[in-house]
Amino acid sequence: MEQAVNTKTSVQTFEELLAGSVAAHGHLCPGQIVGVRMAMLGLRLLDFEAPPTYPQLKQLIVFVEMDRCTGDAVAYVSNAKLGRRSLKFVDYGIMAATFVNLESGQAFRVISTEESRDLALVYAPLETDKRAAQLAAYRIMPDSVLFRVQQVQVDLTPFDLPGPTRRKVTCVQCGQVVRDNREVVKDGLSYCRPCAGGGYFTAAREIAWEEMNWAPISPGPKKAGLSIANESAAAGRQ
Amino acid sequence: MIKTIKLEEAVGTELAHDITEIRPGEFKGPAFRKGHTVCQDDICRMQRLGKNHLYVIDLEADEIHENEAAAILAGVLAGEGVAWENNPREGKINLYADRDGLLQVDVQALAAFNLVDEVMCATLHNHTLVKQGELLGGTRALPLIMKRAAIERAAAIARQHGAVLAVRPLAHARAGLVITGNEVYHGLIQDRFAPTLTAKIEALGSEVAALEFAPDEAAAIAQAISAHLERGCNLLLLSGGMSVDPDDVTRHGIRLAGATEMHYGAAVLPGAMFLVAYLGAVPLLGVPACALHHRITALDLVLPRILAGERIGKTELALLGHGGLCRDCPECSYPHCSFGKGI
Repeated sequence: MEQAVNTKTSVQTFEELLAGSVAAHGHLCPGQIVGVRMAMLGLRLLDFEAPPTYPQLKQLIVFVEMDRCTGDAVAYVSNAKLGRRSLKFVDYGIMAATFVNLESGQAFRVISTEESRDLALVYAPLETDKRAAQLAAYRIMPDSVLFRVQQVQVDLTPFDLPGPTRRKVTCVQCGQVVRDNREVVKDGLSYCRPCAGGGYFTAAREIAWEEMNWAPISPGPKKAGLSIANESAAAGRQ
Repeated sequence: MIKTIKLEEAVGTELAHDITEIRPGEFKGPAFRKGHTVCQDDICRMQRLGKNHLYVIDLEADEIHENEAAAILAGVLAGEGVAWENNPREGKINLYADRDGLLQVDVQALAAFNLVDEVMCATLHNHTLVKQGELLGGTRALPLIMKRAAIERAAAIARQHGAVLAVRPLAHARAGLVITGNEVYHGLIQDRFAPTLTAKIEALGSEVAALEFAPDEAAAIAQAISAHLERGCNLLLLSGGMSVDPDDVTRHGIRLAGATEMHYGAAVLPGAMFLVAYLGAVPLLGVPACALHHRITALDLVLPRILAGERIGKTELALLGHGGLCRDCPECSYPHCSFGKGI
């Protein structure tokens, strides 16, 4: 695989990636530093650049197991994107991310250690504030202290991969089209997840709203927020 | 994999680990060593040691025995000047000084190492003066068998700055002393600083190469410093004039001599008005008068570290604060006390 020649020192690479991640995320926090380093380590284990070259990016899938600052930093550094199907969010509440090379099948799960939090004040003894200590310490701690790594096997189906939609099915209850094998089959019939009882929302009812015919070529809309017309709301169908 | 068998069925099997015997106040050590083949005669003694079952071990490919683990751990913990023998007793390996010098402990790496569940290492304090053969620390793996990956991770942590323990040899310095003060310079009182400082320097294996007396005048003190440098002194100690009186001009003299770096004040009692300066690469220590009264002061905490090649700055002097209070015991037991044992 073609590799770009990288003449930067690792500190320069880290600082540049961190600055970019902070700009994208909105603030600097300990989770950003952990996320940048987590992605740098995961990519290094796959023998990828950070950020990956274009050919490497086409082979990369990243699973993030938390929706916290670290997750954004992992996505920024790895350049994995939800919309390209290269970024997968699995809601485990664990400070971990898995980096998969589709070509080789290699996958490494990088887990942030709880000990690293306790050690922040040991590595940055002159900081009196825990957050400041974490910011300083996470920059200098070696990977072996910050992370544990598992080599794992990730079983992906063609339905999980980037590329065009492989299959479309229509929910027999609500008529919604479901893509990529995400339907639920009961008694031989296909349902979307909400209709099958696995939705994250309840009490759904369809509504009408003001200025329903607005499009980017239209002037306005007049109001920043779109309020629900009482009559339409009352007439909303469930 | 580990299997438990009844003691009476253990005849002919090999012990998976040392079996410890403790006779209170008399003996603690291995009664039987790992690898010993259990015979009928051993059964009674093992029962007296409280053993009714024994382990039989069948290691998987990714598992490691505590003795092999201890050897790996000792190997990565021990840096320059640290020796150990691959002969674990009760799963533990001791680390010894391989030469005289100053013990250096990577406190951060040690803490990170000890947060790995399967391992431990305990050491003497950082910056302790040690003699060849002295015990510095001990390490062991905690489970009888464990996953190899845990030991490899602990080993990587220990290696983050090379090793966790090292004994740095003390350099042989050619020290120049400048004894300041009009009262000594004009012969009103007899100097007691020169013999006190000389004894401390010689006890650390260095020599006093030159001695100058200077009055409380900055220019004269600067001149004495320059004269020492021209003589090839690579360590300077100045005494007196370090306090707050108008006659205390030693600091001005040091600055006048061209100090490139100067840190006045150490978080140590006695020795708050201690000073560390550098003239290029040559360290200069300003010793306050308390060194005449107290056996051990800030000087005794800093001088061995300077001789071991450490550069002492404001941070190092500040970190002395924790543990920097001498108890002023009627009979001084330093270094077997808390003085100077902070970070």
